[in-house]
Formats: sequence, C-alpha cells, structure tokens
Amino acid sequence: MMSKLSNIWVFSDIASRLPEMIAAGVALGEKVSTFVIGTEAEINAAFSYGATHVYYLGDKDSQKIIEDYSHTIAQTISATTENTLMLLAPTKRGKALASKLGVQLQAGVVNDVTEIDIENGVRAKHMAYGGLAIAEEKINSPVAIITLSSGVYEAQATDTTRTGEAVNVAFIEPTTAIQCVERRAKQGESVNLGKAKRVVGVGSGIGSKENLQVAAELSALIGAELGCSRPIAETEKWMERERYIGVSGVMLKPEIYFALGISGQIQHMVGALGSQTIFAVNKDKNAPIFQYVDYGIVGDINKVMPALISALKA
Amino acid sequence: MKIITCYKLVPEEQDITVTADGNLDTNKAAPKINPFDLCAVEAGVQLKSLIEGCSITAMSVGGKALENPKARKDILSRGPDDLTVVIDEKFEQLLPHQTARVLMAAAQKTGFDLIICGDGSGDLYAQQVGLQLGELLGVANINAVSKISSAEPGKLTVERSLDDEVEVLEITLPAVISVSADINEPSIPSMKTILAAAKKPVTSLTATDIELAEFPALVELVSVIAPEQKARQKIVIEGDDEQQIAQFAEHLRKALN
Ligand SMILES: Cc1cc2nc3c(=O)[nH]c(=O)nc-3n(C[C@H](O)[C@H](O)[C@H](O)COP(=O)(O)OP(=O)(O)OC[C@H]3O[C@@H](n4cnc5c(N)ncnc54)[C@H](O)[C@@H]3O)c2cc1C
Repeated sequence: MMSKLSNIWVFSDIASRLPEMIAAGVALGEKVSTFVIGTEAEINAAFSYGATHVYYLGDKDSQKIIEDYSHTIAQTISATTENTLMLLAPTKRGKALASKLGVQLQAGVVNDVTEIDIENGVRAKHMAYGGLAIAEEKINSPVAIITLSSGVYEAQATDTTRTGEAVNVAFIEPTTAIQCVERRAKQGESVNLGKAKRVVGVGSGIGSKENLQVAAELSALIGAELGCSRPIAETEKWMERERYIGVSGVMLKPEIYFALGISGQIQHMVGALGSQTIFAVNKDKNAPIFQYVDYGIVGDINKVMPALISALKA
Repeated sequence: MKIITCYKLVPEEQDITVTADGNLDTNKAAPKINPFDLCAVEAGVQLKSLIEGCSITAMSVGGKALENPKARKDILSRGPDDLTVVIDEKFEQLLPHQTARVLMAAAQKTGFDLIICGDGSGDLYAQQVGLQLGELLGVANINAVSKISSAEPGKLTVERSLDDEVEVLEITLPAVISVSADINEPSIPSMKTILAAAKKPVTSLTATDIELAEFPALVELVSVIAPEQKARQKIVIEGDDEQQIAQFAEHLRKALN
C-alpha cells in the first residue's frame, strides 16, 4: 500500500478542472484541503468531489485577479507545519500562482506534471524538449508545488451527501499592483479536442483555405473533430488556437488520428502519440510523420482527399 | 524607459538524437535562442517604437555557450541596444528557481523599468522564470501576456488570453511580464541589422560581479529520458494512383468500423 501525505492542498481557477484535482488529492493525501473562491454552492461542490476541508477565500470579485490571492494562500499553507503538497490546475493562472507561491513559500515547483510519486519525497515527471523526453524532478522543499496535467487522475463520482469542515480565510492584499480593468469572454466556439474519439489534423501542406473546406468535409464524413498543427493556427490563423495539437497545444487521446499535410515534428506528434491508430497523407516519403503511422500514403492531398471522400461516400 | 528582455540558449531540437538507452545526445545540436524568447525580444522592440527614450538590454545567464560570438550577434541583430550576459560554469544546467535568482541579481545591478521574458523555454519548458524573477524582485509580474495594448511612463496595459476569458490588465512599473508565443511574429533580422549587431556593446559579468548569494536547490533534476513509443503498424503506401488510394481507404474504413 502506498503511503499518503497527511494533507494535500488543492486549487483550480476553472470549475471543470476541480473534480480531477481533488481526485488526485484523495489518492495522495489523508486530508484534502481545497481553496474555494465563489459561492456556497461551490463549497458544497468541493465537498461532493471529495474535499475534506474547504478554505473559503470569499466570493468572486471582478476587481481581483486570481493571482492576487497568492499571499492569502501562501499564508494559509505556511501556518501548517507538516510536509505538504499543493496541486493546481495546469492553466496559465494555475502556473502563475504556482511560481508566486514557490517564491513566497521557498518551495520547489514543477509544471504540467504527468506522474507523481510521493514514496521518498515528492518526485514529478513532465514533458521536456518539445516532447522528445520526459524529465523527472525531485522536490526537496517541505512544501512541493505542482500543476497537474489533465487526465492524470480520474474525477471520482460526485456524492452530494458528503460534507466537511469549512474555514473562512481573510484576504491579504498583494504587495504589487496589477489592476484588472476589463474581462471579456473568449471569442470563438469552445471545442474539446482532448475528448474527441476521432480527430483529423491539418498541417501547412493543406496549402489553401479552400482546401481546408475539403478537409472539413472529409473530417465530417468520418465523424471527426478538426484540429491542426501550430502554423495553421498561429501563422495562417485559419483555425482557433484551441484546435492546435501538440506540446504547446492540445493533447489528444482519440481512437483515430488522421494527419493531412503534417510533417510530423515531435512538438506536434507528442500531442497525437496517445492515439490508438494513426493515419497520414504526406507527399514527402521522408517526412517524419511516417515513422509514427499505422497507415500512411505518400501522395498529394489535392488528389487523395477528394478521392477518399468519394470512396467513403460509396 | 529601461527594458530588459531575457533569453535562453537551448539546443536545436532537430539535431538532438536519442541514444540506445533513451538518453538525449545534444552534442550535435547547436545552441539557438529559445523560440519563445524571440517573441519577448520582438515585444520589447515594438514597445520601444511606441515610447520615446526607450532602451533595450538583452540579458542571459548560463554557461560557456554564451561566449559564442555568433549567438551574441544573433540576439543583438533582433533589435536590443546592448547585451548583458552572466557566465559561470555552475550556470550550465540551472533549474528555473535558480535562473530566476541569478537574473534577479543581474537585473538589480543594471536597473530596469520593465523585464520581458518568454512564457517558457523549449528545453525543460518549466514556465517559471519570469514569474519567479518578478516575485523575487518584489515587483508586479504576470504570465501569458498576449498583447501589449498601450504603454506610458510607469504604466502598461496588456491583455492575457486565458482558457476561459481575456483579461485586460493595468500593470504599474517596475514589472516583469512573460509573453505567450501568440503575441507577435518575430521578424527575421536583415543584413543591415546583422551588420549593426557586431558594433553593439556587450557586458560580460561573473557570479562575483553580480554579488550572487548562494542559491537553494529546491528542485533537483533526476533524469531526462525519451519515453518508449507505442509500436505502430507503419504500413506506408507509396503513390497516389486510384488503386493505391482505394487500398488506403480500405484501411481507413476498417478502422472506422
Ligand atoms: C518550442 C516549440 C513548441 C512547438 N509546439 C508545437 C505544437 O504544440 N504543435 C505543433 O503543431 N507545432 C509545434 N511547434 C512547431 C513544430 O516544430 C512544427 O514546426 C510544426 O508542427 C510544423 O507544422 P506542419 O507539419 O503543419 O508544417 P510543415 O513542417 O511545413 O510541414 C508541412 C508538410 O506538408 C507536406 N505537404 C506539403 N504539400 C503537400 C501536399 N500537397 N500534399 C501532401 N503533403 C503535402 C510536406 O511534405 C510537409 O511534410 C513547436 C515548435 C517549437 C520550437
């Protein structure tokens, strides 16, 4: 039986990520102390996911940014004496908090962690060199801080009969000034490529926006979500950032990944390697993508895509 | 306004090979400017064009690679006015909390109003240096900056593109910001800027020069190992004749069922 830490601290700035963060806390700790900013319903939700203690930081405040709570959180954690671990969602805010807490608590930080081992101190693994390697780091400080990749721990079933101890925490003003003057919803639809069963990925080889339509038709035909490589989202801006696959984009776990005109460099592939079966079309027989495929065809997508569409319709 | 843009030299990923035991061999991989830091430099250059009386110092801490004249010229050809490097053998494999401490000491030495970093680097992608640096300096700091909307002496307005929303923030200087890769498209140095780079001043400092205190090892790097890959069929059909496409379509159809 794996030993557990006596207490784990948990925080997620995004409600949908909280259940799996708490599940990780439950797996690794006897007590799971969760910081909550929001309503009473959110306190109860934290208990229902398995939190044993809630440290309540008050209602959402449009004047404050999440990072303003770093001193409040640091103060609460430093009041405990035992060796402990703080788990945060792997969001931009989660990472900002992690680093700030790291300095304030003299604590070691590791981001985007895909594996945690607490057997002899806290060890954490995360991707490095654009996906070429996995780095393992050992945290030596009494407080260990980790932003945990999604999908590492499964969220547990919600149980609304569960309760726990709630503690009100007084806000500590941050020492430096960042003022939020506006907040706006992100444009564009929200997609969750990470959960898709089938994904078609489009790369620079697609060549034109018109061809993107053809790829979309092929994608719809096989019931797939459309994703892309970085240049399509960041250079061409033909698709939203939420759709680009890879180390700095989305990590996939589909049954089928189908790459169209993608060279297959490691930074992209690492997002696709979790796929059960990989298909690819590329006109260059030496393209690195062919090292990773189950089925590939060396051909021009201008020819292959329309032919495939008619073949699949037949 | 005195701007510092930080950068790290990382090995060219294309030239890293994996040895039989899964370790990475970077011997043939030439050092290059971390691609994310190119965005930080570009952000500094664009900011300079917005406000009068701006200077940009490029800054890096590390080992021997920073002595390389080509690498120095490369960063200076991107637009900074001068370069400060802090070189020491023991800075060869720094972890982010240590890099942040060395940069803190160096930045305190040179002075600054604004420090711009990239969100992460292509090697360990720890995404901590800018934030920890700002926190250690006790100044405002934030990551994920995707746009600098306006700047005036003492104040910056920026946007952050987050998972669920966009935040517009007013940041009081001095400050440290880390920018995301989508903030700009770094420009490619022209022959003129490359030639001009050779004439720009470079200051090379040591750990003693910046009065660096001992720094802690809050984290240790245990190993960096290539993961085992899932075995693939690797059936590759060469050619896009009707028949070959039909063959490929057949594989696809089977997988779909
Ligand atoms: C630190 C870092 C992080 C990165 N993160 C990511 C990431 O998360 N995701 C990501 O995708 N990239 C990422 N990249 C970029 C990555 O290294 C590659 O540059 C990128 O994935 C290449 O995209 P691509 O394959 O679409 O384009 P290219 O490399 O230009 O390849 C296009 C391919 O299309 C083929 N082609 C062209 N025309 C045709 C045709 N008519 N028919 C068939 N095939 C054709 C070509 O043979 C070629 O192989 C990152 C890079 C760095 C340095």
